[in-house]
Amino acid sequence: MKARRTGLSRLWRYTEGRRRRLAIVLALAAVSAAAPVAMWHVVGDAIDNGIRAGDTARLTEDVVAYVAIGVVAWLLGTATWLMLAGIGQRMVLELRRDLFEHLTSLSLRYFSEQKAGWIIARLTSDVDALSDVLNQGLTTLVVNTLTLVAAIGGLFLLDWRLGLVALLVLPPGIVVTRWFQRRSHAAFSDVRTRIAAVTAQLAESVAGMAVVQAFNRERAFQREFEELNEANRVSNTYAQKLSSVFFPAIELLGVVAQVAVLYAGARLIDGGSLEIGTLIAAVGMLSLVFQPLQELSELYGQVQAASAAMGKISTVLDAEHDIVDRPGARDLGRIDGRLQLDRIVFAYGEEPVIHGLELEIPAGGCIALVGESGGGKSTTAKLVARFYDPDDGAVRVDGTDLRDVRLRSYRRQLGVVLQDPFLFSGTIADNIRFARPDATDAEVAAAAHAIGVDRVASRFEDGLDHVVREGGAGLSAGERQLISIARALVADPRILILDEATSNIDRPTEVLIERAFDTLLRGRTSIIIAHRLTTVRRADEILVMERGRITQRGTFDDLVAVEGPFRRLATTLQGVTTRRVA
Amino acid sequence: MTTVDPPDLTLWPTIRHLYPLWRAQWRLVSVGLSCALGFTILSLLIPILIQRTIDDAIDGGDRSLLVPYLVAIVAVATLRFAINFTRRYATARIGVTVEARLRSKLYDAYLRYPRAFYDRHATGEVISRATNDIYPVRYFIGWGVVQAIQSVLMLVGAAIVLAVVNWQLALTAAVAMPPIAVLAYFFAHRVFPISREVQRKKGHLTEASDEAVVGIEMVQAFGREDDVRDRFSDRAEAVRHETMRQASVEARFLPGLVFLPTLGIAAVLLVGGREAIAGNLTIGQFTLFVTLLLQLVWPLEALGWIINLGQRATAAASRSFAWLDGIESLPEPERPVALPEGALPVRFEGVHFTYPTGGEVLSGIDLDAAPGEIVAVCGATGAGKTSLLQLLPRFYDPTAGRVLLGGVDARDVPLTELRRAVAVVTQRPVLFSVPLRDNLLAARPDADWADVLDACEAAGVAEFVDDLPDGYDTLIGERGVNLSGGQRQRVALARALIAGSRVLVLDDPMSAVDTETERHLVENLRSAVAGRTVLISGQRLSTVLVADRAVVLRDGKLVEQGFPDELIRAGGPFAELFGEEALAA
Repeated sequence: MKARRTGLSRLWRYTEGRRRRLAIVLALAAVSAAAPVAMWHVVGDAIDNGIRAGDTARLTEDVVAYVAIGVVAWLLGTATWLMLAGIGQRMVLELRRDLFEHLTSLSLRYFSEQKAGWIIARLTSDVDALSDVLNQGLTTLVVNTLTLVAAIGGLFLLDWRLGLVALLVLPPGIVVTRWFQRRSHAAFSDVRTRIAAVTAQLAESVAGMAVVQAFNRERAFQREFEELNEANRVSNTYAQKLSSVFFPAIELLGVVAQVAVLYAGARLIDGGSLEIGTLIAAVGMLSLVFQPLQELSELYGQVQAASAAMGKISTVLDAEHDIVDRPGARDLGRIDGRLQLDRIVFAYGEEPVIHGLELEIPAGGCIALVGESGGGKSTTAKLVARFYDPDDGAVRVDGTDLRDVRLRSYRRQLGVVLQDPFLFSGTIADNIRFARPDATDAEVAAAAHAIGVDRVASRFEDGLDHVVREGGAGLSAGERQLISIARALVADPRILILDEATSNIDRPTEVLIERAFDTLLRGRTSIIIAHRLTTVRRADEILVMERGRITQRGTFDDLVAVEGPFRRLATTLQGVTTRRVA
Repeated sequence: MTTVDPPDLTLWPTIRHLYPLWRAQWRLVSVGLSCALGFTILSLLIPILIQRTIDDAIDGGDRSLLVPYLVAIVAVATLRFAINFTRRYATARIGVTVEARLRSKLYDAYLRYPRAFYDRHATGEVISRATNDIYPVRYFIGWGVVQAIQSVLMLVGAAIVLAVVNWQLALTAAVAMPPIAVLAYFFAHRVFPISREVQRKKGHLTEASDEAVVGIEMVQAFGREDDVRDRFSDRAEAVRHETMRQASVEARFLPGLVFLPTLGIAAVLLVGGREAIAGNLTIGQFTLFVTLLLQLVWPLEALGWIINLGQRATAAASRSFAWLDGIESLPEPERPVALPEGALPVRFEGVHFTYPTGGEVLSGIDLDAAPGEIVAVCGATGAGKTSLLQLLPRFYDPTAGRVLLGGVDARDVPLTELRRAVAVVTQRPVLFSVPLRDNLLAARPDADWADVLDACEAAGVAEFVDDLPDGYDTLIGERGVNLSGGQRQRVALARALIAGSRVLVLDDPMSAVDTETERHLVENLRSAVAGRTVLISGQRLSTVLVADRAVVLRDGKLVEQGFPDELIRAGGPFAELFGEEALAA
């Protein structure tokens, strides 16, 4: 039963530690489920032994019993509702936390392969679908299943012959149910596919709205969306049609069963072996068989959706970590920052993009990587940050293979600034102290000043306490880069990676930043990737990367002096300048 | 400045908006309602027929009536099956259709909303309002409304039948009614604010997941996983806490709604039983009372659910309608003016601009760009370059002053015409998950393929297209090939060139492109844009040098302009920005 493990049964793990409570709830629910059956029994008794016998005392006793059972059922109903919701919500909470923890520890490879929207849907709407089932669904499921069992049991206890007659409708009932299950399974999964398409289109248009509007693409997008939306409507309508046939059909079967019991009952009364009260109780109990059946079927769609949701959640939970610490990995103390890249081979897919890269950076050294896009510069930086592990060779820090140290202890000594930096919702100051939440206000202010973020912040009333919305809307690309550089500075890293970190920043500000780094990052190792050649001038050594290999290396002046790839990169600029000046 | 974050609507305006959506389905609604009436009558008829069977055929003794009665019951039940199917199907269709309509309305509105709206609202929120948030509306309007009416019909019908059979006993059974009404009212009253709160808390949770997932590289790079986990965990706990509050209200009220009718039955047993002993009530009638009262349990329970659902539906709808009502798209001109034929000069006249969130970004810009001229807009980070450029396609309107194209105020030109005349390359290039070919043709689907190839040559797309698995038919994006930042910029540039617009706005179009490719682009760009009015911004001298004229922004003002070469020699603000780079090169 391997297939089932991805379904709802996986939730069973989350009942751990609360199974005793669950057993208690189930016991309570069983008692409350038996209540309506017992109540019909009391009604039967009231007719036969009270009314028929003309015994008012017996009648009163029955009424008291009836109300007492009702009160017990009420209290138990409230208790089971609360307890089941409590258990269910705890399970949901744990699942959500597990899911999130697992997700945030997956490597970048996973996030580059999956859409952000897809991942977020697992954390939110899918878990919500489970939550709904666990909340209302679990109560309905437990109570109705038990009521069903109790009603059938009660019927047979009351009069087994009538019970057998009622079972006549079982075969058609099974046939109808099987038909419905098969059809609706397909229908509901079609609905899910269609709504997923609607959501995907919606997500893409919202994310790219600027371009949609700028190029007058509204009509085309609207048309496309209408088609998907309409397909979803049609598919939904069909699924609803199936349910609309099924539930009334079950209702009809219920009445047929009652009629059969009435007919048989009349014959048995003639034979003298049945009292009228018992017959009425039997008919009443039958309604207790069919009503839960209906409610359970209504639940069916919900359970299916939840099971599909759990399936998708499982794909995330089962995604394997491809960056794992080796057994016995140790915490890294404060590092000097000596980096060695030893014959590194790396491929994202089949084709290697790094071919036997050899590189050594002394502690406190600064190297620059230049070259055309796709040459492997960013990949090299990502290997140093251990976003990926090399397929062959090793990255060593202070002589230790990165795979032999605890990832977190290494990353905490790392500072990374990217071309398109992400800002979290919160104040500018919060974003600056992201990497070191215990940084003092003075430290934050100092970093902000050194990088020039204070100039950006002065635009806003609240200065550094200005609240940026997620993603950093309202700030220009350059301003976001400034903030993320200040963030890296406050992190107090031993190794700093700047990947096109200043591409949207004007040169004078960049010079300012470099000066800040000159003093603040003295004695720290840094890797700079840049297209702007002035940016890389300050590096101790410049490496030209082409097609995953280093083709030239040396200081700026050395490289400019000789014919080679760097001169080509540099002179292209020169060429433009001279042509324009001339 | 129009609002982009209007407060949620209150209950009545929400209902006023929902009503026309519902009424538009009047055919289905009337089918649903007539079937609800038919269903109620037949559902009352069945217990009555059972009562007759018991009294006349079983307990009464005339066995010959038994089979006809039973056949009648099955016949009524079969008819009820047909009616019930029709009602369910009709109401479900109402819901499904309203869902589709509402979603389509929202999507249409999204397409028209100004940039400021998207600055203010997270993508996840915008999406969820057109998907998850609609479901309660669908179930309420579809199933809920008709079921509520049917529940009331059932209550009234049962009361009439019971009163006709024995009105004193019916009155006795009614003891449970007032407490049920009170309970239902308090339930609705209590659960409404909580269910709103649950939705709000879920929104916070979505925000936390959104951030962690989109910003995962930063989180991992600095090893801050624990921080985001704590944050997520706290918010997940808040959702749990609020959901439990809702559950506790439900637990206290809803089982009570099931219990109270029991009291009615108990009253019937007590009083009706004595009547039956006295011979004033037949066994069948007694059974009818018990059966009908039990038959009321589900409609009452359903009413409870519908109240609950109604709260969630109106809460969700109140937010959607607040957007549909309160957010204005950029106003179209009242008296639209067509742009003149031919080349289009651009003029900024005393332009001021302020974002809703902050201080003034542009303070009085005067700038002319002639057709055939490439104007570079330069300036330090945050000087207002992007803000200035975004006024041209009217992503925003200036807070004061005018933007003129061919002498016509941009606000007087129909938006579609304006945007056809102005092609943009945004700082972060956006491509769609369609084949490369369709991305290129986005602005002008009927473009000549030879023109497309020319543009791809000029924009440097031709350089890498052969490396793509299916050339121009390669699917781009998450399900296809992920292009690098530089490649995306080149596709965006080609797309803008293909648009054939008279004005080109290039906002730092080469920031992610390597130097060699940039040189290629700069060399080709001049001939590719010949005759058009071009505004370009950039942080690298090599980009800016493509221009005929450069202007420098500082603190929202234009502080210098002239030929780039002269500006470098002049040693002013422009030289400050780029001088060092010129020396290095």
